[in-house]
Amino acid sequence: MYQSFIGLEIHIHLLTRTKAFCGCTAEFGAPPNTHVCPVCLGYPGVLPAVNEEAMKMSYMVAKALNCELSPKCYFDRKNYFYPDMTKNYQISQFHDPVGRNGYFDVEVDGEIKRVRIHDVHLEEDAGKMIHSGRTSLLDYNRAGTSLLEIVTEPDLVTGKDAEAFIREFRRMVRHLGVCDGNMEEGSLRCDANVSINLKGQGLGTKTEVKNLNSARFVRKALEYEIKRQGRVLGKGEKVIQETRLWDSDNNVTASMRTKEKAHDYRYFPEPDMPPFCPDDAFMSEVVSRVVELPLVKKQRYLNGLQLSVDAAEFLVEDRLFCDLFEETCALGGDAKQISNWLCGDVQGQLKRAEVALTDSHITAARLNELVKLVDSGVLQRGKAKEVLELVIAEDKDPSAVVREKGFEQVQDDSQLDGWVSEAIDKNPQAVEQILAGNTKTISFLVGQVMRFSKGKADPKKVTDKLSQALGL
Amino acid sequence: MTLLKSWDRVLADVQSRTEYQNYVTAWESKIRSMLTFDLNRDRFGAQDGPLANIPFAVKDNIAVRDFNLTCGSRILENLVSPYTATAVERLQAAGARVVGKTNLDEFGMGSSTDNSALAQTNNPWNVNAVPGGSSGGSAAAVAAGLVPFALGSDTGGSVRQPAAFCGCFGLKPTYGTVSRFGLVAYASSLEVIGVLSRGVDTLETVYDIIAGRDDRDQSSVARPQNSPARGTARVGILRQIAELSPAIDAAYRETIEKVKSLGVEIVEIDIPALEYVVPAYYTIATAEASANLARYTGIRYGHRTSDDSSMEQMVAASRNEGFGDEVKLRILLGTYVLRSGFQDQYYIRAQKIRTAIRNGFDAAFGQVDLMLTPVFPTQAFLRGEGELTPFQQKLADKFTAAANLAGIPALTVPIGVTDGLPTAMQLLAPDFAEHRMFDFARRMGVDMAAMTPDGFDEGWRK
Ligand SMILES: [Zn+2]
Repeated sequence: MYQSFIGLEIHIHLLTRTKAFCGCTAEFGAPPNTHVCPVCLGYPGVLPAVNEEAMKMSYMVAKALNCELSPKCYFDRKNYFYPDMTKNYQISQFHDPVGRNGYFDVEVDGEIKRVRIHDVHLEEDAGKMIHSGRTSLLDYNRAGTSLLEIVTEPDLVTGKDAEAFIREFRRMVRHLGVCDGNMEEGSLRCDANVSINLKGQGLGTKTEVKNLNSARFVRKALEYEIKRQGRVLGKGEKVIQETRLWDSDNNVTASMRTKEKAHDYRYFPEPDMPPFCPDDAFMSEVVSRVVELPLVKKQRYLNGLQLSVDAAEFLVEDRLFCDLFEETCALGGDAKQISNWLCGDVQGQLKRAEVALTDSHITAARLNELVKLVDSGVLQRGKAKEVLELVIAEDKDPSAVVREKGFEQVQDDSQLDGWVSEAIDKNPQAVEQILAGNTKTISFLVGQVMRFSKGKADPKKVTDKLSQALGL
Repeated sequence: MTLLKSWDRVLADVQSRTEYQNYVTAWESKIRSMLTFDLNRDRFGAQDGPLANIPFAVKDNIAVRDFNLTCGSRILENLVSPYTATAVERLQAAGARVVGKTNLDEFGMGSSTDNSALAQTNNPWNVNAVPGGSSGGSAAAVAAGLVPFALGSDTGGSVRQPAAFCGCFGLKPTYGTVSRFGLVAYASSLEVIGVLSRGVDTLETVYDIIAGRDDRDQSSVARPQNSPARGTARVGILRQIAELSPAIDAAYRETIEKVKSLGVEIVEIDIPALEYVVPAYYTIATAEASANLARYTGIRYGHRTSDDSSMEQMVAASRNEGFGDEVKLRILLGTYVLRSGFQDQYYIRAQKIRTAIRNGFDAAFGQVDLMLTPVFPTQAFLRGEGELTPFQQKLADKFTAAANLAGIPALTVPIGVTDGLPTAMQLLAPDFAEHRMFDFARRMGVDMAAMTPDGFDEGWRK
């Protein structure tokens, strides 16, 4: 009987080397107040200078979200006092953001849902305030780093929708290389607003839910909140417009119980920065950097390349795996087989060795070589794992490993034929049994050949030759 | 000997430094133009360059590393700047050395320098008169011969009006030609760093050094390759000029005659929007100031209260104790005009007036090469009886603030001395036509030898 409406406000930290408006490094994890300068500390007389890479990344996200891109975007000052803000105004975008009126497609239970995007705007992050007893400590390393805010329309219906949105969105920004998407560390943050109402009556009174630091919490918090609002309305009461925090220990949302002051941010155009007008070179770089998005890629892998759902899902989770997969395919070879290698042995060994793909020495050329070695029978499938391990550990080509370790299977017909004749000559009893119909005994002869060859004969080829020699 | 040449031995040896120090000390006991005077602190001046070893002073709202940056305010009384403004850096690279930081109205808000929380600066011509403001310290120091030039900042006339009050040239460049990096912001879209000097040649030399695009100020602009023509054949005057004091009125008429005598045509110009200069100026300036001054909370630097009962209280009390009344008034006004729902009525309307004023000047400069107006309706006013009220002082900003709203360059040119105080007029030019004003000022042939207050002496440095 109730209908629910969910909108998300997502903040992502852009992976720029420096902060949004000064030259300080944007790296995290340094000792407090070591990545600061007069500009990001808000000293008197300093001026912001916009980071062009941050603008590029912002336009990339807006483009990926199918927004109308601003040909002339302005910065505004958003005024409010808080000690973690060095200037007591935030440089943000209000009147003319980077992008507006976009949409983003998300797959939920095999169905595509289209979610409208209200706007995408660039702003600066604040510092961090840490309270300890009567003292508060401030760390401004984060102050002034580039933060991109994405605001959706309230088009999502269930907690599951919202979770799917966040997962797809996170995958997207990671593919674009603009954000690492880490929700636990706060480089991707999500607030949700949700309201319910009787069907056909439009939006209800919304609450804002914060402290959602994983996609799963987004779902659970919204499912809880929708039920809670249903109970409130069911009792004939009214939902109070407020901010609620998700309590993941108790699986409930709880009112922040702060007086909600109606903030007047007194936005006005930032006089220190002229409007940003992207030129042709800027826009063509943006367009070229907006790569194929994960959802589209996944569908291509499934429908075009006939990969399994598991393999496709696995690959599109990580841009690097996709790139390696596509580069390897481009060198020739069966896409399905390559995808099996990647989500099977490659993934497994990297995990075991605790090595990231980028540091693993695995390249498309090496993967291609490995697959070919197995395909052509030079390398036993069973030994291939060991080769892969050494490629990762020792930064060597698979062929070199095979050579050094003496893993090549003997393919030479005359040599194989010699061993086959020897086995037949030396084991008349076994031959007799085989000829009498006990064909399983052929494995005994294969074993003999393997022994003569010190394990280097290709067992498949040996079996074929034995069968042929015995007229089977 | 040119003005700058007469200064280049001043820092050369112990004896001339001592003479310099003595001259300044004698004057400063009367006028207190500088908050800091130190011949040894600037370690950044290059050894050679066109201004090698030339001392200069900098308004104390412009950052110079290792010097105070008080802005004339209690809230920044103990701040030492960790960095240097671009304009100052460019002068240092040309060899010049900062020797002093000059007094000003707190954060540049005022027309008398009496709004400084730190010192009272007097006019070198008459210590009972104000030096004007807000760059009153720079004007007084230059007029008394303490430095060959000084930097000031001009938000609504803050270089030109004190230059007029003290009898020196004062340049407000085209908005954006001089980097604002290092100028403590009061009203960002209006203000620019300017220069004060007793010589036009010096002004021009300094301006040519400090002008130019700066990557640290994205609102800065490069001067165009083809600079505007330098000649002046027609000068515009405003059709209606009312409420000038008798001395200024006389100087104005005299100047018009002088211009005619140079064979230059005088053309009467109407710019109706100028009627709204003052309200538009104060709306925009205070709006921007309310945000620009929000950073002073005593948390990272500057005055911090002893009242730390809560975070909010600490910030509120630090600001209450640190800011003077005029600053508080302007922050309140600016906060008021930016409230949501009221922006159409104030801020946006003021921006429309601003556009109309700009258009008015554009049209005017289609007919004339320069405009001539008074700088201020009166000469330097005396403290006490007959003093202008703060409200009258604001109304009197109309001639100067127009150039800030339009973004165009303007120059104060001394005219003469009446009743022991200087008179001056203002030239206004289209964007980037600073040199046209310099040339015309030279043609006007100001007798600077006559523009010396009692006690002015050049003998010690010759
Ligand atoms: Zn910084």
